[in-house]
Amino acid sequence: MLFLALRSVRKRPGRFLATLLSAFLGAVVIMTFSSLHDTAAAPGVDAVSSESMTISAGVVGGYGSLLVFFAIASTLTVSVRQRAEEIHLLRCTGATPAQITRMVVGESAVVALAGTLLAIGPAVLGGRLLLDLFKDSGQVAARIEPAFGAMALGSGFGITLLASVGAAFLAVRRATRAPSGARKRSRGRGRTLAGCAALVAGAGGVLTTYAVDSTEEMLMAFPAYGAILLSVGFAVLAPSLLGRMLQLLSRPLAAVGGAGGYLGARNLRRRGAELAGILMPMIIFTGMATATLYIQGVESDWVTSSGLDKTVDDKNLETLNLVVVGIIVVFSCIMLVNSLYAATSYRRREFGQQRLAGATPGQVLGVVGLEAVILTLTGLFLGTVAGIAGIIPFTTVRTDQVVPDQGPATWLAIMAVATVVTLGTSLGTARRTLRTPAVDAVTVAA
Amino acid sequence: MAMFDRKRQPPSRTAEALRLESVTKVYGTGDGAVTALDGVTLSLPTGSFTAVMGPSGSGKSTLLQCAAGLDRADQGRILVDGEEMGGGSEAALTKFRRQRIGFIFQQYNLLPTLTVEENTSLPLRLAGRRADPERVRAILTQVGLGRRLGHLPDQLSGGQRQRVAIARALVTRPGVVFADEPTGALDTRSARDVLGLLRETVRVHGSTVVLVTHDPVAASYADTVLFLADGRLAGSLPAPTAEAVAERMTHLGDRVAARHVDDSSLMEV
Repeated sequence: MLFLALRSVRKRPGRFLATLLSAFLGAVVIMTFSSLHDTAAAPGVDAVSSESMTISAGVVGGYGSLLVFFAIASTLTVSVRQRAEEIHLLRCTGATPAQITRMVVGESAVVALAGTLLAIGPAVLGGRLLLDLFKDSGQVAARIEPAFGAMALGSGFGITLLASVGAAFLAVRRATRAPSGARKRSRGRGRTLAGCAALVAGAGGVLTTYAVDSTEEMLMAFPAYGAILLSVGFAVLAPSLLGRMLQLLSRPLAAVGGAGGYLGARNLRRRGAELAGILMPMIIFTGMATATLYIQGVESDWVTSSGLDKTVDDKNLETLNLVVVGIIVVFSCIMLVNSLYAATSYRRREFGQQRLAGATPGQVLGVVGLEAVILTLTGLFLGTVAGIAGIIPFTTVRTDQVVPDQGPATWLAIMAVATVVTLGTSLGTARRTLRTPAVDAVTVAA
Repeated sequence: MAMFDRKRQPPSRTAEALRLESVTKVYGTGDGAVTALDGVTLSLPTGSFTAVMGPSGSGKSTLLQCAAGLDRADQGRILVDGEEMGGGSEAALTKFRRQRIGFIFQQYNLLPTLTVEENTSLPLRLAGRRADPERVRAILTQVGLGRRLGHLPDQLSGGQRQRVAIARALVTRPGVVFADEPTGALDTRSARDVLGLLRETVRVHGSTVVLVTHDPVAASYADTVLFLADGRLAGSLPAPTAEAVAERMTHLGDRVAARHVDDSSLMEV
């Protein structure tokens, strides 16, 4: 099966591009920050320098691993789904589910290795840049030499590979377990449980904020991580929530949107599992970006207003947070674009069927647009809730206010990016898909 | 205003359901050009059940796609119910199709996210017409699915899915129903049911059905069989039996093969 894996990676490099890109970016981020561990572990590094490097490496390393896992999981789930036909063919030819699992897991391991290897160069440079940043701000002694060694490489390869293999395993298990043709209805319970667990943990993180001293430096960590976990929980639960909501809304939607509203509402209700892949990055993007940017804003204002000079520490934290938000934005955008592109182009046959049933190209685009709008609203709403859940406790504890002074501009910008990406990708892909004549679209299976 | 009125009333029936005048379709250009349809002219009366047969590559799929407005002919005129199919935009062609033409495909092409009832009423909704639930249910009962209105296509057998497709094709009261190998994916018994149902829609409801197939047994359900070879009409057979159709098909194959031999010998000379 490994030869099959290598063959399919070689013959269809395009399909693995999204996975490769997320593995590459993930590995760059992880190794860049992990190289700080190496630098800190070098002999002759003073305790202060060592501590500041270790803390930021740890914080961003945590974020990074989570993101890498979700990014790779999202791209892999999509690519396995796209290959349902091929997998079915293999099973018909006599491949056992275990063999197919080995093939897909093997492929993603190869892709992850390639991504990590490519990432070494940029990560070495990134590590140096990061160290210079720390030196400039005086947090790290100027004489310390950058190092790139066991910790960076180990965590880079380890996390990327583990995330890829784990994600591939989950994705393919889903694809092979159901007998071909059978409708995958259940497996809701595990999902619901995981989602609830994430929500509980997130709520715990957010509430812990109240228990911490208001001047504690690390105060930000609790609401920030809490908001992330809440986002993840919402993302996992969103499809079924959306399904229930749409059940109530399908009548008014059909009344307002005509045939488009009717089709859109029904599609969304019965495609829960696929929607998770789209809602996940959107909610995480909105939740994390909102929480981090506002919490950082509040923190900066607090430092200024408390009469203290901005210490190098604070400045560093600010830079670090902005870097983290930047990473999240890039990652979530890749995930969002990838899942939307794949999910939409995968529906070529369905669009063809709609057209054969009498839908004009405009009506098909209308359905896609409406679905995208509903998805965007859901994603942005839940993401915002998760973000606010992190912001308010932090603001209350750090300052005496409940609502931060920062205006809604940042939030609006985040919403705008998410909306443009979602609508743009969905409609753009659907438009391209519609160029194929309807009869061909329904006959070509792949 | 006139447009509005026409939309309201079901299209008036003319005596001629489908008319093709010198329809030609060429795929590709230059040396690689293949003439799939070579000046086909035919006329089908309303209430007829016609099978179109021919060997692979004879142009029967192209004929169906052009006549049904799924593909554009290069030359010639196509009239459905006396109304000429325009060469307008895809949207205009779609509107023409959904008002006058019904489809049944080998692969059913039902939407997986819609129930039996929803699938059947979809063409009406897409056309902005009111989907009368009574009528939709009546049609589904006629095709024997009155008790499966809430099922999804995945939960039905192939024969049942094809019957949903038939109900969906009939719900708009189209001028012509095109069936492209409707029994190609079915077992013998379901195939017989589906063909019987098609014949019944012609007999009882006066629909016009064009059946494209390569199966002589399926063709024998029609009133007339039209034979197609190399993109041209090659005769017809009224009141066909499976044996007679098979017999004609065999010789059609011979004739086509003979012509190819002629062509190649000509090329060599």
